[in-house]
Amino acid sequence: MLSLNKVAKRFGGVNAVNKCTFNVEEGTITSLIGPNGAGKTTVFNIISGLTKPDAGTIKLNGKEIAGLPAYKIAQSGISRTFQLTKVFRNMSIKDNLLMAKEASEKEMEDVLKSVYLHKPIDTTASELSYGQQRLLEIARALLMEHSLLMLDEPTAGVNPRIRQELKIILKKLRKEGKTVLLIEHDMDFVMDISDKVIVLAEGRVLREGKPKEIMKDKKVLEAYLGK
Amino acid sequence: MILDYFVSIIIYSLIYILIVTSLNLAYGFTGLVNLGHMAFFGIGAYVSALLTIHGVPWYIAMILAGAIASILGTIMAAITVRLKGDYFQVVTLGLVFMAIAISRNWISLTRGALGLPGVPSIISNKFYYMVFVFVICAVCVFIINLIVKSKTGRIFQAIRDDETAAAILGKNTYFYKVLSILISTFFAGIAGSLFVHYINFVDPTIFDLEFFVLMLSFLIIGGVASIKGTIISVFVLESVYESLRFIQISPEIIGALRVMIFMGMLLVILIIRPKGMFGKVVI
Amino acid sequence: MPFTDILPQLLVNGLIAGAIYALAASGFSLVYYVLKFQYFSQGAIMTIGAYSFFAFFTFLKIGYVAAGILSIIISILAALTINWLVYRPLRKRKATPVILLIASIVLLIFSSSFILSLFGSSAKTIPFANKAYDFGIFTITLLQIWIIASSIILFFVLWFVLKFTRLGKAMRAIADNKDVAQIVGINPEKIYTFTFIIASVLGAVAGVLLGLEQNLYPRMGVLIIVKGFISAVVGGITSVPGSIIGGLTIGIVENIGIWFLPSGYKDVISFTILLVFLLFRPQGIFGKRLRDDS
Repeated sequence: MLSLNKVAKRFGGVNAVNKCTFNVEEGTITSLIGPNGAGKTTVFNIISGLTKPDAGTIKLNGKEIAGLPAYKIAQSGISRTFQLTKVFRNMSIKDNLLMAKEASEKEMEDVLKSVYLHKPIDTTASELSYGQQRLLEIARALLMEHSLLMLDEPTAGVNPRIRQELKIILKKLRKEGKTVLLIEHDMDFVMDISDKVIVLAEGRVLREGKPKEIMKDKKVLEAYLGK
Repeated sequence: MILDYFVSIIIYSLIYILIVTSLNLAYGFTGLVNLGHMAFFGIGAYVSALLTIHGVPWYIAMILAGAIASILGTIMAAITVRLKGDYFQVVTLGLVFMAIAISRNWISLTRGALGLPGVPSIISNKFYYMVFVFVICAVCVFIINLIVKSKTGRIFQAIRDDETAAAILGKNTYFYKVLSILISTFFAGIAGSLFVHYINFVDPTIFDLEFFVLMLSFLIIGGVASIKGTIISVFVLESVYESLRFIQISPEIIGALRVMIFMGMLLVILIIRPKGMFGKVVI
Repeated sequence: MPFTDILPQLLVNGLIAGAIYALAASGFSLVYYVLKFQYFSQGAIMTIGAYSFFAFFTFLKIGYVAAGILSIIISILAALTINWLVYRPLRKRKATPVILLIASIVLLIFSSSFILSLFGSSAKTIPFANKAYDFGIFTITLLQIWIIASSIILFFVLWFVLKFTRLGKAMRAIADNKDVAQIVGINPEKIYTFTFIIASVLGAVAGVLLGLEQNLYPRMGVLIIVKGFISAVVGGITSVPGSIIGGLTIGIVENIGIWFLPSGYKDVISFTILLVFLLFRPQGIFGKRLRDDS
């Protein structure tokens, strides 16, 4: 579904991303993990078009998307969320969702229910709690027509109950055959949910494989703890 | 006499409402702080003045005033909306200074600082002109309101709140930002035309910062991104502004005092209630 | 007259205008550097400096030096009052740079009306026993020599303060990273106060010199701060020495330019330069490159 090949990006003198190569298979949940500064968010920004790569190719369902403007990549079928929630604060839940798709009220109620956000759709986004804003952002990302869903640290800063709900939401998505790529630091979450784990360190792919294999890998531990 | 006076206040208020509402579209609803908005108002005034002085019928002159202001605005936007926030604001500010300098020096066209007197009225009777201005402004504000409440308006507001998020939802934010300025400056040009056919004169002082900051006061005190707030604040504040005329001091000092009071009010609002009276957004 | 003959005089004229622009730009740029907003109110400070000097000299008849010192003090007090009444409350509210920019323009307009209500709109002159010195290829007046001399002295002092004194280092620390500076014990508000004081000295001197060279009128601050702003952008708004060079550049380009164009086009020249820089090199000649948005 999504394949990156030798993607690279320099910032100043630093290689934030270096010969990054990996695939995301359709109908799976893939987690991108790695220590801070490994380049995970940069990779996300490159895939979604917010940052232009210096080199490499990115194919979405065979179509080349590297270097396209963000809105074109979104239209090609990539939907994403951010580490620091980016809802439209001065707009209502309804208007936030309408930005994703000209949906009927029923569709909107359904997607809100599926993320366990039980608030009237006229509520202004700024009135929601941080966790609820996160759910809104996910709902909005789900509502937009997409073939790949990218979530940047969906569990960051949310309480355990919402974390559980997120697990359920993601498992349901996989059951429906959806494809998800996520960045996560919560290892329990990653272990529980992922079909594949990709470890990024210093801008390149260190290891990839099933969660259980990765957890036992010496090199991965070293990357996190330092040599 | 008394009636004349009220008619005058109402005409100015209506035109100011159109200026501020058109500015609000770009500033309050799209987050584009176009500090050069009055450049387009002034260009509309000059275009309409020059055309009608040379015999062009007013309805063609007014449409062209809006169109030319809009075309120039679109060109400006196409080049500048990609700039980071801070710089967009100062570029647009620079444009006003440019407009002042050009209008003062392109003497063959504008007669420089002497200005263009003898701009024909559309309707000589002030009362009927007030009705005319009311109709035009009401239609324009109504159209702007429709745009704000439409899908396009929603995209404008999303861009204001978070341009990146709007982009990753598939919206071409560059296009919409330019569109916002295109519409905003069109109505500024129309307002310029209405203005110049009332005071029958135009000169480079139309581009002065004082005039712009007065409009900004209406916008911010009324409430950014609130059309209702603009309408109320213009009528209320303009009445206050005009009533200060009656204090028995020399006209020069009155002018200065009025500006100081308004600037003082605006500063107070910026400090204690930056949303303004009816606004929901702080820019 | 062939261009090469007049060039030295044009350069001298440009240097004089440039010195005043540079004084205006340096205060503006210093505040932007430390406080990170467009300090258009500096125009107000310059106007206040000029008019105080006029008032002290004309009504109290105390002579240039005393009037100069008093007008600098008045300018400092004005700037600190503005900071205390407007900018500090806005900072407390975490006002965006847009709001601060609007507030400074509002203050600029407020002050020109304030001056108008106190002094009237007619232009004022400050008498000065001026002498012209003819050097053959160019002529220069005593006042103009004073302008160049004062600017050089002030810029040298500014450079010295910024580079070698504890205050200067603290200012640079706040400018580079306010949070870290606080952690090492620097009090931002205190540094801001000193920044405004220094900027006011630069502004007051600029206003006084401008007032001596030309007439005083209530709106004088508006045009001169715009030129100061253009100079800062051209030189590099994040760089105080850059903005000084920017001022000299603008002064010289304007004066050479109006040899070829009608003199009214002086402003059009600088605004065009402003727009070109903002569009193609917003960081100016010496400023730091703006960071990538990702």
